[in-house]
Parts: sequence; C-alpha cells; structure tokens
Amino acid sequence: MDKSSISRPGQREGLFSSAVYHLHLYFLLLRAQARSQAVYRLSFALDAVGSALITLAEFAAFALVIPRFGTLSGWTLGEVALLYGLAELAFVLMDLLFGGFDAPNLSGHVRSGSFNTFLLRPAPLRLQIFGSDFALRRITRVFLAAGILAYGVSASGIVWTPEAAFLLAGSVLGMIAFFGGLFVIGGTLTFWTVESVEAMNVLTYGGRTLISYPMDIYGQFLRKTFTYLLPAAFLSYFPVLHVLGRPLPDGLPLLAAYLSPLVGPLMLAAAFAFWSVGVRHYGGTGT
Amino acid sequence: MITVQNLKKTFRVRRGGLLRGSSVVMEAVRDVSFSVGRGEIVGYLGPNGAGKSTTIKVLTGLLVPDSGQVTVGGLVPWKDRRAHVARLGAVFGQRTTLWWDLPVHESLELLRHVYRVPEARFRQNLRDFTELLELGPFLNTPARALSLGQRMRADLAAALLHDPELLFLDEPTVGLDVVAKERIREFVRHVNATREVTVLLTTHDLGDVERLARRVMIIDHGSLLYDGALASLQARYGSPRELVVDYEAAPTDPQVPGLTLLGADGPRVRYGFTGAAATPIARVTAHAPVRDIAVKEPEIEATIRRIYEGGLLRDAALLKR
Repeated sequence: MDKSSISRPGQREGLFSSAVYHLHLYFLLLRAQARSQAVYRLSFALDAVGSALITLAEFAAFALVIPRFGTLSGWTLGEVALLYGLAELAFVLMDLLFGGFDAPNLSGHVRSGSFNTFLLRPAPLRLQIFGSDFALRRITRVFLAAGILAYGVSASGIVWTPEAAFLLAGSVLGMIAFFGGLFVIGGTLTFWTVESVEAMNVLTYGGRTLISYPMDIYGQFLRKTFTYLLPAAFLSYFPVLHVLGRPLPDGLPLLAAYLSPLVGPLMLAAAFAFWSVGVRHYGGTGT
Repeated sequence: MITVQNLKKTFRVRRGGLLRGSSVVMEAVRDVSFSVGRGEIVGYLGPNGAGKSTTIKVLTGLLVPDSGQVTVGGLVPWKDRRAHVARLGAVFGQRTTLWWDLPVHESLELLRHVYRVPEARFRQNLRDFTELLELGPFLNTPARALSLGQRMRADLAAALLHDPELLFLDEPTVGLDVVAKERIREFVRHVNATREVTVLLTTHDLGDVERLARRVMIIDHGSLLYDGALASLQARYGSPRELVVDYEAAPTDPQVPGLTLLGADGPRVRYGFTGAAATPIARVTAHAPVRDIAVKEPEIEATIRRIYEGGLLRDAALLKR
C-alpha cells in the first residue's frame, strides 16, 4: 500500500498552490451549505421572502415619510437611499460570508461538539468556520439592497467618476470587513460566556442601523462616539458626503472620506487577533 | 506511536454566578504515563469522569495539558494541529462528522478534499470500505436519514478514507444490536490487521474490548490503575470460577473441604474455586452422588465492575507508591 503519495497538509508547498487549494475547499464547503439548504425548499422560500419584507418595510418607511417633509435634515430621499442601500448591501453580504462566526452559530458548534470536529480536520480552522454557514436565503435581501442603492445613486444625481466608484466600492468593502470583525468578536466571546452576546448585538445591529441614516440627525454625543471611538462614520457617512460634494464635519480633512477600506480591515485584523486568544483559551478548557 | 509521560490536566470549575461564585480546581488527569506501539489495539476503560476523555482530547490535540510530554507519531498534538490531525481518524459514537443534509457519498467526497486524498487512492478506499461495511444501499441517503448502525458505518469509512495511522474510537457500538456490533468489531479488526492502523478504543461495552483489544488500560480518578493484558487482569482481579453441581438429592451438608460454598438451593449447590477444575470436581463427586456439573467462568464485566466499585486497583496503586 502506497501512502507516500498523500500529501499531508502543513507540508511545505508553493504559496500559489496552497491558495488555490484553500479557495477551492472554501468553494466546496459553501456549495455543500447551499445544497443542504436546497433540501428544505418551503422554509427556504419563506425565509427568503420574509427577510426581504423586513428590508422593504424599513425602507418604505422613509420613502413615505421623507417626501412629506421634503428632506431629512437636508437629505433627500435619494441621498438617504444611497446611505441605506450601502449599509444594507454591505451588512447582508457580510452576514452571508461571516455567518459561521455569528455568536448563535458558533456557540451552537461549540456546544454540539462540531467545533471539535473542525479542530480534528487538517484544514485551517477559520476557513472551516467560514464554510460552516452560508445563508443563501439572504440572497433576496442582497438584490433588494442593490436595487435601493441603484435608486439612491440615480436619484441623488451622482456624477459617475472613477473616484466616486472607488469611494462607494471601498465603503461596501470596508463595512463588510468592519461588521465581519464585530461578528468575529461576538463569536469569540462565546468561548467564555454566552451572556455577553446580547451586549455585542447592540454594537453589531445597532451600529448597522445607526449608519443607515445620515449622521446629522443624531446629537453631538452619538456622532462623536461613532466617529472617534467606534469609527463607524468612516465606513459610509464620510465617503457618501464626499461623493455628494459636501464638506466633512468637524473640519476633518478630505482624506477621512477614503479611509473605509482601511478602517474595516483594521477592525477585522483586531477581531482575528482576539479570535486567536479565544481559540487558545478553548484549548485550555475544552468547554 | 503514542508516548505519554507524566500527563497532568486540571480544570477550574466555577460554582455559582460569574461574579460571586468561587472556582474549584479539579484534577482531571494526574500523572498518567503510557505508550502505545504501532498496530496495537488498546482498550481504554474507566467510569464517567475518570479522566478518559480528557486524555483523548489531549492526544487528539483538542486540549493543552498543564504539564507532561505527549508525542503522537513524533508530533506534539497541540503544537502542530494540522499536521497532527491529518494522520488521525476519529469516530465519536455520539456525533457524526458527516454533513447532516448531504448524501453520504457527498460528505465523503468533501472529506477527500479536506484531507487532500489523491483521487485514485480515494476511489480504492471507498470501494474497499463500501464492500466491507456494506455502505452501498445508503451512499445516496442523507446522513440525517440513516439508522444509528448505518451512520456509524459511514462514520467509520469517513474516518479511514485518508489512511490515518491512528484511529480513535469512542463508544463505536453504543446503542447497536448484536449483529451490527459484530460487524463493526469485525471491520475494526480487519483494518487493524491489513492497514496497520493503531486503535485506541474507549468504551463501556466490554464486549468491544474482549473482541478487539489484547491490552487494556484502566483509569479512575485521573490515575492509571492498570495497564496490561486483558487476560492477566482477569486472572489477577477476576472473581473465582464457579462450580454448579446438581446432586442426585439435596445433600444434608453441602460443605466440601477446600471449596467455598456460594449457595445451596435444594439439590443445586454452587461453589467457588480458583485454578484448574479437576480437583474440585473430584472432591464434589466423592462427597455425594452427582447428576450434573457445570463450570461457570467469571465475566470480565463483573471483574471491571468490582475494580471500579471496590477500588481494588486503587489500593494496589497506592501500595506501589
């Protein structure tokens, strides 16, 4: 019997072939998730419609209210749609990609022992967590968010320059990384306790809702907190202000509008550093 | 294959709430040492909470011990997780490694990619295991729809597709009927013999141990109480053998010199003895007219139970210190 032909993971290999292998494996794991969900057609369809209705209702609320007053703190419906569409699109994409790290899912894996199953497989742990959840039913919300965003772009009369495209795309990527980081932190906390999860949801879902609206509507305190303490304003508010040709608040330099693709990944990197601490803690207790 | 030296692991157990509770240190494993050679099948026994699963978690790299040296095939399990687990197979009876809603063969195919098993090798192994475990009828069935026995067989195949050198089996036959148990034991024996897979078996079913393992290790209260051949465990700690005698008529005095009287019920009298049966039989037949005689062997189950309950080995281990 020839065992030598099996290449053992962790062996030295080219960076490129290793990347191809991991990407392929990730794709296969996502496909497995998608195929698993296809089994439950009815519940899939209900979830898909239901979650889209929530987004629709939320947006319909502005669409009905704002035109009555003309503007919301000087923001037209189209401009609000731009902010809202960006936040919703990024958050839903993030939820699709980072669902495995979401605290209820991760603590479920830990409790059921499937987290141990991941640890017993020779693939990178994070890749397996990424591949453990892919809620395709959110796809309707992705389309809806893209639609709202498209309406926002056209109604607010944005001049389509490469710069505007870069700012908006960077904003979405930054938000995906940022909120993904919050999911990772929330999931990591469940290695110690599940009681903290609710507190984390305030940040994750609260933060998402907060940046769906123009920051002008909030008071000083909230605005400062989400600019300097938890830098959510950099994610979509500043880029959108700049795309719309408005000045940034507090006399901030224009550079601040370009920082979303930096702020998001920094948050994610910090979150994964915390994740490593959590995994090490798990190895000490095995709970 | 496995070397464990002075393994120690303690846990802090919290009592009460997060803020007001106090924590108690619990010694799950204290100073355990053993080694397992390539191709061995070792039964690892102990009551619940004895330290069995802590040992297994350390060996599989899931837990980092407080102190002690552990190597498995030359690697330290918790230091090089991916390289280590690539050479392991594990079946934990209570849960499956298969994707719940996918047909079995799709799960196996996914694992082929996870373990990077070459296509040809995978096909060969899948063919072998399908035949040996009779997986054919349910390869297209999703894991959630399998019976317990089918699921266990599929999990065994899943654990062995990447030609692991070491296989951990935890309660592999729990909840199965006699035929299903036998099929699984037969398969484990086969892969051990033909593929030189080292097997560490934890189980409460002593039938598994008797059929598979020549060597047993017994752990209780975090210490290894016994490590040796199953046969000598029986000889040293087993209950005496039993002689069941049916006399022609109920004897007036059932006592026979040299034999322990265990009980008398009319003409049927039971005696305990150790060693060969010839002398006791001669004595009994000399004592009174006998119609029938049977020798009952002590059961391993009873031996192990006596060890746990009576602390037989613990006293012996204490004496050794």
